[in-house]
Amino acid sequence: MSNELVLHSDVDVINEEFMHHAHGHEHHQPFITKYIFSMDHKMIAKQFLLSGIFWAIIGGLLSVVFRLQLGFPDQSFPILEELLGKKWAPGGHITADAYYALITIHGTVLLFFVLTGGLSGTFANFLIPLQIGARDMASPLMNMLSYWFFFTAGVIMLCSLFLETGPFAGGWQAYPPLSALADASKGSGAGMDYWTISMVLFVVSQLLGGLNYISTVLNLRTKGMSMTRLPLTVWALMLQAVLGVLSFPVLTAGFVLLIFDRHFGTSFYLSDIFVNGVGALSHEGGNAILYQHLFWFLGHPEVYIVILPAMGIVSEVMSVNARKPIFGYTAMIGSMFAIVVLAFLVWAHHMFVTGLNPFLGSIFVLLTLLIAIPSAIKAFNWITTLWKGNNIFRPGMMFAIGFVSLFISGGLTGIFLGNAAIDIHVHDTYFVIAHFHLVMGVAGFFGMFCGIYHWYPKMFGRYMNNTLGDVHFWITLIGAYCIFWPMYYEGMAGMPRRYYTYDTWESFKQFAELNKFISIAAIITFFAQFLFVFNFFYSMYKGRKVRESNPYHSNTLEWTTPINPGHGNWEGDLPEVHRWPYDYNKDGREFVTQVTPVEDGEELH
Amino acid sequence: MENIEYSEAKRSSLKKEVIKVTVILTVVTIIELIMGFIMMDWAEGSFKRHLFKGIIIILMLAKAYYIVAHFMHLGHENKIMKRLIVVPLLIFIWFIIAFLADGHSYLELRSKYDPYSVEMNEKVLPAEHGQHQDAEHHEAEQE
Amino acid sequence: MSTSTVSNSGKIKWWGGRISPANVEYGKLMMWFFLISDALTFGAFLISYGTTRFATASWPDPNKVFNAVPGLEGHYPLVYVSIMTFILIVSSVTMVLAVQAGQRLDKKAVVINLVLTIIGGLMFVGCQALEWIHLHHEGAWWGRNPFLNYDGTAASPNFTNYFFTITGFHGFHVSTGILINIIMLIMTLCGTFDKRKSYLMIEKAGLYWHFVDLVWVFVFTCFYLI
Repeated sequence: MSNELVLHSDVDVINEEFMHHAHGHEHHQPFITKYIFSMDHKMIAKQFLLSGIFWAIIGGLLSVVFRLQLGFPDQSFPILEELLGKKWAPGGHITADAYYALITIHGTVLLFFVLTGGLSGTFANFLIPLQIGARDMASPLMNMLSYWFFFTAGVIMLCSLFLETGPFAGGWQAYPPLSALADASKGSGAGMDYWTISMVLFVVSQLLGGLNYISTVLNLRTKGMSMTRLPLTVWALMLQAVLGVLSFPVLTAGFVLLIFDRHFGTSFYLSDIFVNGVGALSHEGGNAILYQHLFWFLGHPEVYIVILPAMGIVSEVMSVNARKPIFGYTAMIGSMFAIVVLAFLVWAHHMFVTGLNPFLGSIFVLLTLLIAIPSAIKAFNWITTLWKGNNIFRPGMMFAIGFVSLFISGGLTGIFLGNAAIDIHVHDTYFVIAHFHLVMGVAGFFGMFCGIYHWYPKMFGRYMNNTLGDVHFWITLIGAYCIFWPMYYEGMAGMPRRYYTYDTWESFKQFAELNKFISIAAIITFFAQFLFVFNFFYSMYKGRKVRESNPYHSNTLEWTTPINPGHGNWEGDLPEVHRWPYDYNKDGREFVTQVTPVEDGEELH
Repeated sequence: MENIEYSEAKRSSLKKEVIKVTVILTVVTIIELIMGFIMMDWAEGSFKRHLFKGIIIILMLAKAYYIVAHFMHLGHENKIMKRLIVVPLLIFIWFIIAFLADGHSYLELRSKYDPYSVEMNEKVLPAEHGQHQDAEHHEAEQE
Repeated sequence: MSTSTVSNSGKIKWWGGRISPANVEYGKLMMWFFLISDALTFGAFLISYGTTRFATASWPDPNKVFNAVPGLEGHYPLVYVSIMTFILIVSSVTMVLAVQAGQRLDKKAVVINLVLTIIGGLMFVGCQALEWIHLHHEGAWWGRNPFLNYDGTAASPNFTNYFFTITGFHGFHVSTGILINIIMLIMTLCGTFDKRKSYLMIEKAGLYWHFVDLVWVFVFTCFYLI
């Protein structure tokens, strides 16, 4: 096949269209194709971002409600009855069923819709074409479909919140039998059906997006943009797409079997057990652990799908604001590769207490501990990038540094949890909650904030307010540690997660005050996020206008576009790349953009 | 854009390749079927049956190779393309080993600690649907 | 250092940007990656099936379950499924011929071979439907398994559960493939590809079709032979 075919793609059509418009100037696109069914990757990115913000508020609000229960189990909050209705919060006191529904949807929404859809959806769409020098994604149509599948998934999940029996309430992993038997719990009926449909649509969205990201990075890099000249963001976003494309289908298979178990009387996951509320099952031969294997075969790569884009964004933002080349560029890429490979080898470390074969478990322990190596390399590289840098502490940079802090303090406890011997003690306790919230949840959010603050001028042509950003950063960072750090101690004392109330345990009464403290910190941190939301929407219309095309003196290609790039990104020809993106403070020059030709006698990095 | 010129020589070589692969796939399938017929009467769990199953799996992989390399044309793509496709599939190795090992471990756990499941596993039912049961290798060790 | 796509020594720099390192158009690349992800879906199904078999003490003997041939009395294990397998292999061959005809822009040969492929696909789906109907008459369905294990003990319904789910999922893929091929046929007849001077779409449809064939190789082995 001839390579000319490679260029003969939809992107060329956009190219022509773009050139045509560039000459025609005044060009009016109808509202519906410009803002709603847009095929422009930048608009799709903004759609993902707005959906992500919407879902983050919902998910965060749910956590506030259940933190009220955990922190103040004896108090009643009349506002909850107003908010959730008499059925869910009679007398201002949420019921156990409502509590389980809240934690389930909190997990699903934040992990899948915000940290996967919102984070990688936003930045992969926005940054990949801009940073590799492409007019758009390889297939803009599929890109648009990806968003609309995501949107539909969100609508269905939102609908499930308003079901009479409530949304699914069996934990975000949806383990059978709670997820397989409609009568097992309140949310297991219609709620679980909605949940499953929503998740399947979400998987479709991720696949459409992921295939597009990978093909775009491979095929549409501009002239001179070799793989080792890609910014780390693009590497990270491509590798997370690889993870998604390889792991989400396994989840789909697991869901299909689950749907058959629910509706067609099969027993893939069900055996002759006794289930409270259902009675003795007539099912034979199933194996609930099989679902856990299939789920975590996705579930573990999924946490890297969350964290890799954050890592990429942080690396890029940190280098720009430290005015230094990123330390260990190839090591960064290598460790991301290692993370991608290891992601598929370690899933059963979530299952040490399921009766997993101890010998098999020991192999999983070994493989799990190996992840510490690439993670440590990355953390070391970030710190070394900051070392002796001319750091400019813009909010984006603050969040990047905060990310490293959270990644270390959350990640180190992963080594504890990866050891089967310790995990058996702290499994399903608040130790786990603290671990993954710090290392994946809050760190993922920090990556997202970092990216939003940094690329906001490129997205909207205006700056966000830095003072508000700083306040937002400090409250969020301190708040996050106040919420999750004490949980380590609770977890080490054995306090189990997911419990509605700890009244009956004498041993956990000592934590009543601590729980109260955590709840207050959570509420303050949640409401502090509205500083960001306000800043985001206010700056969109009233923010300081961007006057120069490269305000951060950054090297990457997105800053060579016009301040408000149209569909097609560059006016005229695509830029040609001559060097890697991290030439800061090189040979006496503060920054050297990627499009600057190499001078005679100049040494490349 | 120029069309790829098809010389007669290339055309006939492609045709030869298709015929060759078709013949190979057919022959391998026939071998598999013959092996299936041969092992039909052997006791389940016996060594020779396991051996034949192993050979059949290898033949299956060979068939997969011919389909991917020739019908799907991967053999004619460049080295980078081949690696892009083949390398991700390596995750199947650990995927298969770990899943099957844990499945087997689950069986062993139950046969050790779950008397009910052992009882159910050993309960011989009267034959239905005219199936002739060959349970001779089974009853000997039970009391 | 030069940044053109061809280095000074005349070697193509595949990773240098502007060209596809895999020398493949983006749509075909996406189709390949989609097939990899689909392979993982099927892989997950088959591995689940294997896991369940490894976790179950005894299993029905496929030769005693799948032993009927329509129109013939008596037991003929493996015969019917061999016919199905050959139908699918032959339809794969005609698809290859269609793709090759497309590469030399031979519209007539493309049409003939696509029609043959579609017929093969329909025959396969028809055979599968007949087999399902037969098994359903025997009392087998999702959640119901009338067949005993090879050692005479009661079998868990998972034998039929997996059989119907996985062959059903494969049948769904064959049906999708037929649909895609019909669309390709219509597009060919309308001259869409002649206008583009490229039958690349047929190649992508062909990849999908061969993948369906490939999956059948695995399904066939896992369910009928071992």
